[in-house]
Amino acid sequence: MAEPSTASVRSFDEEALPHLDALYRVALRLTGDPAQAEDLVQDTMLKAYRSWRQYRPGTNAKGWLLTILRNTFINSYRRRKLEPVAMDLEAIEPHALYRAVESADPEGSFFGRLVDEKVLEAVDALPPDFREVLVLSDIEGMRYAEIADTLQVPVGTVKSRLFRARRLLQAQLYAYAVEMGYIKPRNGKDG
Amino acid sequence: MGEPIDCREATERLQDYLKRELTPELAAEVQDHLIRCRGCFDHAEFEETLVQLLEARARRETCPGALRERICALLRAEADPS
Repeated sequence: MAEPSTASVRSFDEEALPHLDALYRVALRLTGDPAQAEDLVQDTMLKAYRSWRQYRPGTNAKGWLLTILRNTFINSYRRRKLEPVAMDLEAIEPHALYRAVESADPEGSFFGRLVDEKVLEAVDALPPDFREVLVLSDIEGMRYAEIADTLQVPVGTVKSRLFRARRLLQAQLYAYAVEMGYIKPRNGKDG
Repeated sequence: MGEPIDCREATERLQDYLKRELTPELAAEVQDHLIRCRGCFDHAEFEETLVQLLEARARRETCPGALRERICALLRAEADPS
C-alpha cells in the first residue's frame, strides 16, 4: 500500500492540526481522563493520517476527524470506563433550575460561579449518548446535520438527545446549587 | 407569518431557535412570541447564557503542547520511515 506523499503530509498538517484543540476537548469529555484523552487523540491522528487519501479535500475535516476519534473511542476505550449510573429522566422537572435561579439570583452572579466550578463535572456524568451530542453541539458548535453525520444517527435523534442532555445537565446543576446552599429546593407546586 | 404561537409551542421550538436551526418563518414566530412574553424571553435568555458559560468553560481546555509535539513527531516518522 502506498504511503501518503510529502505533499499530502503538508495538506494533512494544514487540514488536521488546526483541530487538535477540538479533538482534545472532545476526547477529554468522552474519556473523562486526561491521560486517556491524550492517547485517544494520538491514535486518532495516526489513523487519520493513514487513511488520509479517503478524505476529500475541502469537505468537513473536523467532522471527519471526530468520526475517527469517536469510532476509536467506542472500539477501544469505552470499555475501560465504568458507565455512570443512569438517571431517571422522568423525575426531572424541566425548568426547575431556571425558575430557582431566576428567583434566588436575579443577577446571575452565583450561577456563573457554579457553572464554572461544576459544569464539566456535570457533563462528564451524563450518559455517553447524550454527552457526546451535547459536547459536539454546545461546546464545539456543530450543526445538527454535521452531528448526525458524525454519529451516524438521524437528525431527530440528535435533537432529542440534546434536549434530554440539557435537561439532565440542568438537573445536576440544580442539585449542586441546592447542596451548596445557593438555592433552596422548591416544592414542585408552582414549579 | 401564521397565527401567533403560544408558550407551549414557543418552548417546544426554543432549542432549535437558539441553535438557529429553524426555517426563517418558524424562527420569526418564536421571535414574535419572545418579544411579547416576558416569561419565555427570560427562559430563552437563561438557556442561552448557560450554553455560553458551558462553552467558555470547556474551551479553556486546549491540547497540551507536549501532545502536539509528540503527534507532529509521529507524523514525521510516518512520512519518512528511514
